Amino acid sequence: MTTPTSRAPDSGACNACLRRGWLLAKLAGPLDYRCRDRERLLDALALSDDELICALGGSRRGELARTYAALAADQLHDGDATQRPQAICRHRARFPAGLRFASGPRSLWVTPDQARLDELARRPVVALLGSRRASDYGMEVGRALGRGLAAAGVAVAALAREGICAAALSGALQANGAVLCAVPCGVDVATPGVAASVRNRIGSRGCVLAEVPCGTPVRRWAQAASERMVVGLAQLTILVEAEDSRRELAPARLAQALQRPLGAVPGRVTSTLSTGTNALIDAGAKLVRGPHDALELLGLCAPLSAPCHHAGTALEPELRLVLEEVSAGRDTPDVLVRDDRPLSAVLHALSVLELRDLLVRADGGRYLRRA
Amino acid sequence: MIARAHTFTADGPHVERVTVEVELRRGLPAFVVVGLADAAVREARERVRAAIRNCGFDFPSGRITANLAPADLPKAGPGLDLALACAVLAASGQAPRDRLGTYGLFGELGLSGEVRGCPGTLGAAQAALDTGLSALVVSRAHARDAALVEGLRIAPVRDLRRAVAVLSGGAPDSPLPGREPRRPSPPERAAVGRLDLCDVRGQHHGVQAIVLAAAGGHNLLLSGAPGTGKTMLAHRIVSILPPLSPREAVEVARIHGLTRDGAARLSLERPFRAPHHSATAAGLLGGARQGWVGEVVLANRGVLFLDELSEFSRPALEALRQPLEEGRLAIVRSRRSQVYPARFTLLAATNPCPCGFAGEHDRCACSEAQLRRHRLRLSGPLLDRIDMLVHLRRDGVGHRDAAPLTSSSRERARVLAARERQASRLARDGLALNCEMDARLTLRHARLDERGERMLERAHARGLLSARGQHRALRLARTIADLDGNPRVRSRDLGAALAMRPEGGLHGARVA
Repeated sequence: MTTPTSRAPDSGACNACLRRGWLLAKLAGPLDYRCRDRERLLDALALSDDELICALGGSRRGELARTYAALAADQLHDGDATQRPQAICRHRARFPAGLRFASGPRSLWVTPDQARLDELARRPVVALLGSRRASDYGMEVGRALGRGLAAAGVAVAALAREGICAAALSGALQANGAVLCAVPCGVDVATPGVAASVRNRIGSRGCVLAEVPCGTPVRRWAQAASERMVVGLAQLTILVEAEDSRRELAPARLAQALQRPLGAVPGRVTSTLSTGTNALIDAGAKLVRGPHDALELLGLCAPLSAPCHHAGTALEPELRLVLEEVSAGRDTPDVLVRDDRPLSAVLHALSVLELRDLLVRADGGRYLRRA
Repeated sequence: MIARAHTFTADGPHVERVTVEVELRRGLPAFVVVGLADAAVREARERVRAAIRNCGFDFPSGRITANLAPADLPKAGPGLDLALACAVLAASGQAPRDRLGTYGLFGELGLSGEVRGCPGTLGAAQAALDTGLSALVVSRAHARDAALVEGLRIAPVRDLRRAVAVLSGGAPDSPLPGREPRRPSPPERAAVGRLDLCDVRGQHHGVQAIVLAAAGGHNLLLSGAPGTGKTMLAHRIVSILPPLSPREAVEVARIHGLTRDGAARLSLERPFRAPHHSATAAGLLGGARQGWVGEVVLANRGVLFLDELSEFSRPALEALRQPLEEGRLAIVRSRRSQVYPARFTLLAATNPCPCGFAGEHDRCACSEAQLRRHRLRLSGPLLDRIDMLVHLRRDGVGHRDAAPLTSSSRERARVLAARERQASRLARDGLALNCEMDARLTLRHARLDERGERMLERAHARGLLSARGQHRALRLARTIADLDGNPRVRSRDLGAALAMRPEGGLHGARVA
């Protein structure tokens, strides 16, 4: 295999690592097939280029090997260096240390620039991950964690993916915090769905990372593989809401394999959407009830004895009673109505509590206590 | 020799008077009709010829030219037959001419000379009265519809021969029995009728929203899982709506009389239209052609209920924007432009997500992308015109043995009282309902106390309400106060109104 040699001192990526990017794009089909099992995908990504061609090239392996060997240096670089984001490879000192594990990415493409990534990497980074198909509770907790951690100066890392990740990024951006967002395509390619609006709001407040060259469309394998970038960059990985399935718990297994601290947010025991996170806590993952727990795990602040809602103590008795009942699960106007509390009083109390940031409206007209 | 008769043609929601001028000349036999006549009017020549002969008259053998004036107004429908035949008979000296100038004639002729009714008779009667005619000759079948217009003599006739007799000063026939227009039903009877709010168990919030919609005319969107009673509640709004005023009743009957199968039936019950969700934009709006009246026009002065709102096509929903905003519908079709009245209360029901169970104990199996797609079907300008969004939930349904929360007769009395308060307050401005108040009137009639002002400012500052949303919340708060009989809007009324705001949509906390 070619010895790593830099094309220019400040270009940031050697030809061997750029060849790897080219190869991954060529092998996108077999990789997509492999990503149904995350462990098999990571095993494949840990292979060297020759081994990868042999393992996944199939009937094309001879042709691929020949083209790979004949790749000229100018075919690997993205046109005008001043116009397009340039790659940084793992052979450079500025490559994030957390991503230097066997199956980690060989190159990274970063926007807005490498300096911003350096700056964010110096901060504590927390990865907030979870299900795409999250409950309103999970979304609210994810957003609150993102908001709280960002306000404390922590960089929030997540995927450009709907569900918990989008909520966490959105929360961090609400607090004007720093975010690291891994995308499953080239950094200059738009991501579909909800994630697009969140990604558009990042601007210069954070970094968008990709391990495939600019212009590469969204691929399924890259969606799975970008989880390892987020987990690798973070000092703490938190699963906010996940089902007990291999796919949804893959980031947790990776964090454990990399010996990174792992936290999980407890969910309702009756909810199938929280079976994974509850099982993780049962298996030894740290309990995360809010940003304070995450900060404590990072060693950034004194531990709080228990999550408590100070705002609730200063309320009028009637409002406090409604707030407590909502927290206890009596969370819709109809079930809060009593003989001595007519519907109009209930609706008024819910509105006041919402205006005071203690409640938030959720699916199906339910009210959730702000996390 | 020229004879003139007066008849009517529908021009969108209006009925216009048409003068039929017939001239007889010697020459080759011909019967020419000019004046923008449609196919039905052109075919009238054959009906008129046969009817005149079969009634024992002579059909003139010269050249007959019939002119329908005004010439630039398209004439449609078979209602012009009777006037055309009478004018031909008068021109040929077989019928007297003196009464033709003061009588209106409206009806379709059969080949035997029988006079048949046609849609729009009530409108024709109204137009006859408005244009100063003294009497209207119509079919026996529709005579009672025309009789709803007071101050006009109605002369029902069996056939062309009787029509000529009436023009000669003879007595008309009697109206056909069995076509008695539906008498205005007293409020009590409607409330005790088929649908009553006492059938509903639980769903306190939903019941209150229905009452508010009836009291203030506010548009309401009910969201909830299947089986939570959205449709049941929506249908019961009819039982608590106040009756139509006599003027409104005639307006409604006239519009309904324009439809193909429509005979005008005077009823004080407000219209309740519930089109299927496969309805197209054209089906909801109707067309400029006669007899093609859309659902939004038929719901005028009543309720338009769109069940499964998210299943309606996007163009159909977007088409509702103008009528919801302006209370009228301007249709432009192929050189024709018509303005229809379309002042209705929109009642809509939808599931919160494609599977229907969002928010119901994590039963929802929809992905975030599916939820987003579902939200997008209802988002934007249409949601902006909804005044209340209320979620009905399974845990809000009461036990079937539980006592009903209220009854239609009780709520109807409250609604009537609230409407009276609104009408007396808004009479000076020419309005009747809180939902019709513009921004200036809203600020004048829904003044808040200091606490309420702070709440509203906070809601705006937190991004929970837009500028339009603030006025909407104030109008709703005004109705809540009216229902409770309070002259002033309290902060508590505003709080209740804020809890029903449509901002945030179906999935409040999810919208990142």
